[in-house]
Amino acid sequence: MRDDFSQPQRQSLVGVVVMFTDNAQKLVRALWPMLIVILLRTDKDDKSYLVASLAAGVLLLAISSYLKYINFTFHLDEDNEEFIVRKGVFNKKRIAIPLDKIQQVNINQSVIQKIIGVHELEVDTAGSSNKEVSIRAITHKMAITLKSRLLQGKKETPADASAEPVQKDEKPFITISLASLFKTGITSNYVRSFALLIAFIITLFQQIEDFFDYMDINDDPLDDYISTEIMLQFIAFIITGILLLTIVVNLSRTIIKYFDFRITRQPGSLLLSYGLLNTRNTILRAEKVQILTVGRNYFQKKFGIQDLKIRQAALTEENPESKKSLLEIPGCNDSEKDTLLELLLGEVPEKGIMYKPNYRKLVLGLFVRVVIPVLFYYVIGLLVPELYVAFIIPFYVFFAAILTFMAYRNSRLFVTDKFIIRQKGAWDIDNDYVMPHKIQSFKIYQYFWQKQANVGTIIIYTAGGHIHFGVADYNKMKNLLNYWLYQVETTGRHWM
Amino acid sequence: MEDFINEAIDTTSLPRFEEVRLKPLHPEYKKIMWFNFGLTFILTGIACTLVFYFIEETRPYIIPAAVAYISLLLFSAFIAMLSFRNRGFAFRTHDIVYRSGAIGITTAIIPYNRVQHVALHEGWLARRLGLASIEIFTAGGISSDIKIPGIEKIHAENIKQLLIGKIQNEVSDEG
Repeated sequence: MRDDFSQPQRQSLVGVVVMFTDNAQKLVRALWPMLIVILLRTDKDDKSYLVASLAAGVLLLAISSYLKYINFTFHLDEDNEEFIVRKGVFNKKRIAIPLDKIQQVNINQSVIQKIIGVHELEVDTAGSSNKEVSIRAITHKMAITLKSRLLQGKKETPADASAEPVQKDEKPFITISLASLFKTGITSNYVRSFALLIAFIITLFQQIEDFFDYMDINDDPLDDYISTEIMLQFIAFIITGILLLTIVVNLSRTIIKYFDFRITRQPGSLLLSYGLLNTRNTILRAEKVQILTVGRNYFQKKFGIQDLKIRQAALTEENPESKKSLLEIPGCNDSEKDTLLELLLGEVPEKGIMYKPNYRKLVLGLFVRVVIPVLFYYVIGLLVPELYVAFIIPFYVFFAAILTFMAYRNSRLFVTDKFIIRQKGAWDIDNDYVMPHKIQSFKIYQYFWQKQANVGTIIIYTAGGHIHFGVADYNKMKNLLNYWLYQVETTGRHWM
Repeated sequence: MEDFINEAIDTTSLPRFEEVRLKPLHPEYKKIMWFNFGLTFILTGIACTLVFYFIEETRPYIIPAAVAYISLLLFSAFIAMLSFRNRGFAFRTHDIVYRSGAIGITTAIIPYNRVQHVALHEGWLARRLGLASIEIFTAGGISSDIKIPGIEKIHAENIKQLLIGKIQNEVSDEG
């Protein structure tokens, strides 16, 4: 075990196993239709051919994994301050990453890596995504050392870099308990579950209608009565089943993904680690946070929990909304939320001056989400009568109108001289926090029919996505824009 | 830090972006716009004619198709004219203002201290007319970028130099 990374070195030898499973996974994913065909076509009596080809495949995979392992080396070039990775069996590739370009070093662990006791080290750079590098198998101690060495090179990092490497035994100051995860699991993703339910009911009713049409039932009314009752019971059973199922799925998803969520304070950053099967370790730097979202719905409010979503400066310029730059901290209680806000934003923001949308937003929303879909469905019904189920319309109108109205009521913008807070959402109410110096650019627009009423919409772009507010008083939006421009243009603070 | 003052600012006296005089695009740019417009409609026209010529079953729809084609043409021409008239840009002391749009009017503003890089594009026709377009990128993603077409080549070069100067100033300020 060397702590000196100046010489090219290979991964841990067990890394071959990781490479092997990686390759096997890739192969199966690419070739599964073919594999199924082969399995079905094979003569039932003569399996020797199948076994032989399988063995050959495994052998080939093993050889290629070994070659990959042999040809993968990494080292630190101290003179040029670069991290260098060499890889490739036939096409040799040499990737050099200047240390000051390294944005983040993550240490993760998948199930297989957990079993054989190695870790993955992922290096993210500013700039294009194809320059990212990951070392698939490395011991924990080595990963920690290498990580601190890689991050030491970061010039902008304040004094902390020269200090301690990483105190890995430091106690986490926030741990999300299993109970909180449980609460989050059973209260989130309702909208998705609800949509799923609606879709299911629609198909179910079509099936039943088709069934009756097909059977041409015209019998004793008693029979009809019994069958409808049974049918209703059956439907109720199915609906409860789906509700339970979605809750169970959401719950297990939340727990598997976020199990043992710990946040540890490190000099200049926070270390998040979580996951039941795949363990993820991610560093969060306050200066990289672009938009911070606090979201909760009615039930979560009753439970006193909320989710934090953190959008960081995107790693690729092309796609600032890319998933990789989004971090979630589920099930925080109020004091944990305030601590995190203080650490990431410098203080717990006040709400300040409130701006409301114009009532035209409600009218437009109802038009787009209620009137147009109903008309569209009606036209489809005229063209394809089988798809038309009339009783769905009042249900849809009821729910869509309520959701639109709630979205309108919750839509707010709060402005202080330090923060912009955008509140939105119908059921899950999100508060997006943006600091003016993180803003990249602005857009403000007005359609010609909005001129008369003098309303418009404003969009604020940051490196981690955008927020928009409207339809609202155009003059007020223009004044805000002028004010924010003044703030961005006079600030000495960098956005990252 | 020593000459740091923190006075209350009068938000009503802030410079207003909506009052800045915007410079319209170069009149020659209309040629490029109409050329692209014509090309699109001629190509779709040819495609439709071929369909009607070779597939006989489509013949009965020839009149509605022609009506749709012509109304689309007139509507697009109207939109194109409007959008040319609405476009304008200004380079203020601290930011770029670009207004565009036909049905809705959008004003995009990028402060110089948030510009990532600048690109100058010259199309085939634009080069003949001595025009170029300037594209200004920020870290906010594609939809936050500004592309201003129809600027005189020399003017565009100057703008690019100006912006690059601003970016370098920023960098040296930080360092």
